[in-house]
Amino acid sequence: MTETVGNALVQERRAKGSAIPESLFGWLLIAPAMLFIMVIVAWPLAETIRLSFMEAGLGGEEYVGLENYQDLASSRRFHQTVVRTFYWMFLSVGLKLVLGLIGATLLNAAVPGRSLFRVLVMPPWVIPMAIGCIGWLWLYNGYFGVLSGTMQWIGLTDGPFEFLAHKRSAFYSAVVTDVWVGTPMVTLFFLAAMQGVPKDLYEAAYVDGAGRWYRFRRITIPQIMPVIVSMALLSAIFTFNSFEIIWILTEGGPRGATTTLIIDTYKKAISNYKFGEGAARAVIIVVLLGVFSLIYLFFLNKVNRHYGSGKK
Amino acid sequence: MATLDLLSISKSFGAAKVLHDISLAIEDREFVVFVGPSGCGKSTLLRIIAGLEEATSGQIMIGGEDVSAAPPVERGISMVFQSYALYPHLSVYENIAFPLRVQKLPQVEMDERVQRAAGILQLTDKLDLKPGQLSGGQRQRVAIGRSIVRNPKVFLFDEPLSNLDAALRGDMRVELSQLHRQLDATMVYVTHDQVEAMTMADRIVVLNGGRVEQFGTPMELYHHPRTKFVASFIGQPNMNLVPATVVAADASGAKVALEGGHEMVLPVAAGTLSSGDKVEVGIRPEHVEQDRPGLDVAVNVLERLGGTSIVYGSLQDGARFCASLPGDAVIAEGGSVHLGVAPEACHLFDASGDVLRRTSAPEIQ
Repeated sequence: MTETVGNALVQERRAKGSAIPESLFGWLLIAPAMLFIMVIVAWPLAETIRLSFMEAGLGGEEYVGLENYQDLASSRRFHQTVVRTFYWMFLSVGLKLVLGLIGATLLNAAVPGRSLFRVLVMPPWVIPMAIGCIGWLWLYNGYFGVLSGTMQWIGLTDGPFEFLAHKRSAFYSAVVTDVWVGTPMVTLFFLAAMQGVPKDLYEAAYVDGAGRWYRFRRITIPQIMPVIVSMALLSAIFTFNSFEIIWILTEGGPRGATTTLIIDTYKKAISNYKFGEGAARAVIIVVLLGVFSLIYLFFLNKVNRHYGSGKK
Repeated sequence: MATLDLLSISKSFGAAKVLHDISLAIEDREFVVFVGPSGCGKSTLLRIIAGLEEATSGQIMIGGEDVSAAPPVERGISMVFQSYALYPHLSVYENIAFPLRVQKLPQVEMDERVQRAAGILQLTDKLDLKPGQLSGGQRQRVAIGRSIVRNPKVFLFDEPLSNLDAALRGDMRVELSQLHRQLDATMVYVTHDQVEAMTMADRIVVLNGGRVEQFGTPMELYHHPRTKFVASFIGQPNMNLVPATVVAADASGAKVALEGGHEMVLPVAAGTLSSGDKVEVGIRPEHVEQDRPGLDVAVNVLERLGGTSIVYGSLQDGARFCASLPGDAVIAEGGSVHLGVAPEACHLFDASGDVLRRTSAPEIQ
C-alpha cells in the first residue's frame, strides 16, 4: 500500500517536473553518444562492408559481389596468415598472462623496495611504443646489437646474427617485443586484483596449514580469475590487432614471416591501393574478433558463476 | 582440549611497545574473554596465540607444551576471524572442509566431520550454497564450522560478532555459549563489547594500553574492580566517578566529603588514606536511588526505556553523572533531582586510580 502511494507520488512529481515525455528525454540524453558512435564506428564499419563487395582502387569502384571473399577463401597465403595470426596471438597472450601473473605475485610479496619495483615495471607500457620498438630494433641488430654480441661472446654463434633477417627468429623476436610492451599492463591489473583479495583469507588458510603454493592455487587464482579472463580477452584483441610493433620491426617480413591479418590488410589496402580486398580482410577480422568475444563472454559468465560468491 | 599459558608475553612494532609482559593461565575448557578499548592489544595478543604474529619475548604453552616457535597448524588452535574469512568462491561444504583438504584427509572421514559440524551448527541444508547466499549469522556459523572440523585444542575468536546487527548479535551470543558447553572446549574470545564479555565469559581479561588490568570472573570484575579503568569499563551504563576528599580514615572505613558537601562513610579498607587526601567515589548508575541524601543532579537528558529510566545529568561543578532509576520515576528533563547511594554500594579509588577493597561487598566464589 505504502509502496503504491509512493509510486504514485513519484509519478506525480515527474509529471509536474517536466513537459518532455520520459522516453524522449531518455533518447535526448543518449543522443550525443549515439551520434558519436554513428560517426566514428557505425559509418566506417558500414562503409568497409560496402567496400568489401567492390573492386576499389585509385581508379574508382566496381561491384564484384563476393569475389573478394572467394579469392580469400581459396588463397593458401591468406590461410597461412590467419593461422600465423592466431599462433602469434595465443603465444604472445599466453606469455603475457604467465609473466604478468609471476610479476604481480612478486610485486605483491612483502619484499623490501617493492614500491620501486612497481614503478620500474611501468616503462615498457608508458614510453611511446615507436621509441620502445626502435630500441628493440637496435637490440636485434646483428652488428651493433647487444644480443648478437652476447651470443658471439659466449660462443653461441660464430658471427653477427640478424634476428630480424630470418623467418623464424624474426617472428619470435616480434613476439618478445610484443610481450615486453604488453606485460606491464597485465601485471598491474593482476597486481590490483591480488591486492583486492582480503588478507584474512590467507591468514585463515595459513592457520589451517595451507602452504604458499596451496594458498596461491586455492585462493589467489580463483579470486582473481575474473580479472585473468578479462585480461586474456583484452590482451588477445590488442595482440590480434597489434600493428606498430610488427610494422616498425619487420613490416611483416622477412618473406611474410611476421605478416599477421592486420599487417596483411594494411599492405593490401594502403600499400597496394586495393581497397576492396583490404576491406574484405578487415570484415573477416571483425567477424573473427566478434566470435572470439562471444566465446569470451560465455567463459566469463561461466567463470563468474563458478568463482563468484553466489551473491545475486 | 587443553590449558593455555602465556608467560611474560611482550610485543613491539618498531619502537612502539603494544604488549607489556603479559602472563595468563587459562584453564582447560574455560571460556576466557579478552576485553578492552580499541588499541589495547587484545587482537594482537590473540594473533600471537594463533601464531599469526610473533611475540617479541615470552612463551606460549598449549597443553603444557611450548608452541612459541611452532607454526599455527602445529599449535592445535583454530581461529574465527572478525570478517569470517570465508572463501567466496567455495561452497559452504568446501569452506568447512578446507582445513581437512589441506590435511589430505580421506573423503569419507572428511564427509563425516563436515556433516557433524554442519549438524551442530544447523547448516546441513546450506552445504551447497555459497557464502554470498547466506545471512550474516549463517556465515558466522560456517566460519565456526571450519574451526570445529579440525578438533582443535583451543578455539580463538577475534571479535566474531562485531559485523552483525544488535538483534543477531544477541542470538549468536547465546549460540556461542551453548556451543562452548556442547564442545566442552577451551575458548579465547576477543571483543571490545563488555556485554559480550560479561554474558559469555567464565573469566575476563581486561586489557588497557597493552597491560592486563584485571583477570577474573565477570562478577568479580563487577563487584571488586581492581582499578578505576576496570570499574568504569565493566558495567552498563558506565560507573560514575565523583571527586571527593577524605575527612577521616581507618582500617574499617573512610569518611569522605563529596562535591556539594555531602559526607558518607564508606566501608573500605582505607588504612592507606589520611585526612585531606583527594579520592574518587565510584557509583554505579544502577545503585543510585532517588530522593536520598547525596547529590543534586541537573537532568540534561532522560531516556525512558520502560522498565528503567536513564538520567544523564550534571553535578554542580559540571561533571557528568548518570543514574538508572525505575521506569516510572518522577523526573523531567531540565529539572533537577536529589540522588543518593547506599555507602556499601560505593567504590573508592585513591589518587593513583587503585581501588580500596570494599569490606561489605558480596563475596565472589
